[in-house]
Amino acid sequence: MYRGREGQWAFVLHRITGVALALYLLLHVFDIGLVMYGPKGPFNAFLAFYHQWPFRIGLVLVMAAVVYHGLNGLRIILMDFTSWGVRYQRSLWYGVLTLTTGIGIPILIKVVPEILAGKV
Amino acid sequence: MATRPKTLQQARATYTTNRELAWWVFMRISGFLLIFLVFAHIFFNNIQINVATVDYAYVAARLSKAWVKVYESFLLGLAMLHGTNGLRYSIEDYFKRPGTRFWLKAVLFTAAGAMFVVGVMALWAFSYQQMGDAMNAVGHGG
Repeated sequence: MYRGREGQWAFVLHRITGVALALYLLLHVFDIGLVMYGPKGPFNAFLAFYHQWPFRIGLVLVMAAVVYHGLNGLRIILMDFTSWGVRYQRSLWYGVLTLTTGIGIPILIKVVPEILAGKV
Repeated sequence: MATRPKTLQQARATYTTNRELAWWVFMRISGFLLIFLVFAHIFFNNIQINVATVDYAYVAARLSKAWVKVYESFLLGLAMLHGTNGLRYSIEDYFKRPGTRFWLKAVLFTAAGAMFVVGVMALWAFSYQQMGDAMNAVGHGG
């Protein structure tokens, strides 16, 4: 692989999280769409299945992907539409990583105990 | 008007550029809006409550509200277009053979279209009351 610097890793992560989120969206809409079949339909069984801990860890990863992809998207917008964005793109990327961590930690503090406690 | 394209190739060179430019702009505008829409969506449904408590009653009660239908419709439409176009970019970056590209895109657009229809149906196919009434009918309470 081409050993690029921060800009390349920013792009690779944006691509991976983007593809993952698009595929998650597909799953999510078909899954929640089962609500159409009413309270006696397959909806509750499906959701109970997804409430198992491996999928809840997956949901944490989805949230992390959303935060990174969104913040790095802001970085891209700044690079495209301001005169200084490209000059500071590397600093901006470290800002994105810091903010992603900063938003991620409180989410982990809230969600990890819920996962450990199992289904309510 | 400047010289109009005279061949299919010229037309492609002229018009796909404008369309691609439009998509380029759209990715930035929709991306900016989606940050707020998705962050709030996650906050309400994953952070404010324990997501393991989500069941039919919760979703039906949510989707019985008019503002939720409108909000989630914007989220669905923008996310579908943004995600589908992003996947199209990825397909064009990593698959060079025209045949492979065609079939991957055919699958992508079909899946995206089907997902959009299912999403709109789930959001709008029932009156504001119906989902709650169906819930009460089997004794889940309102």
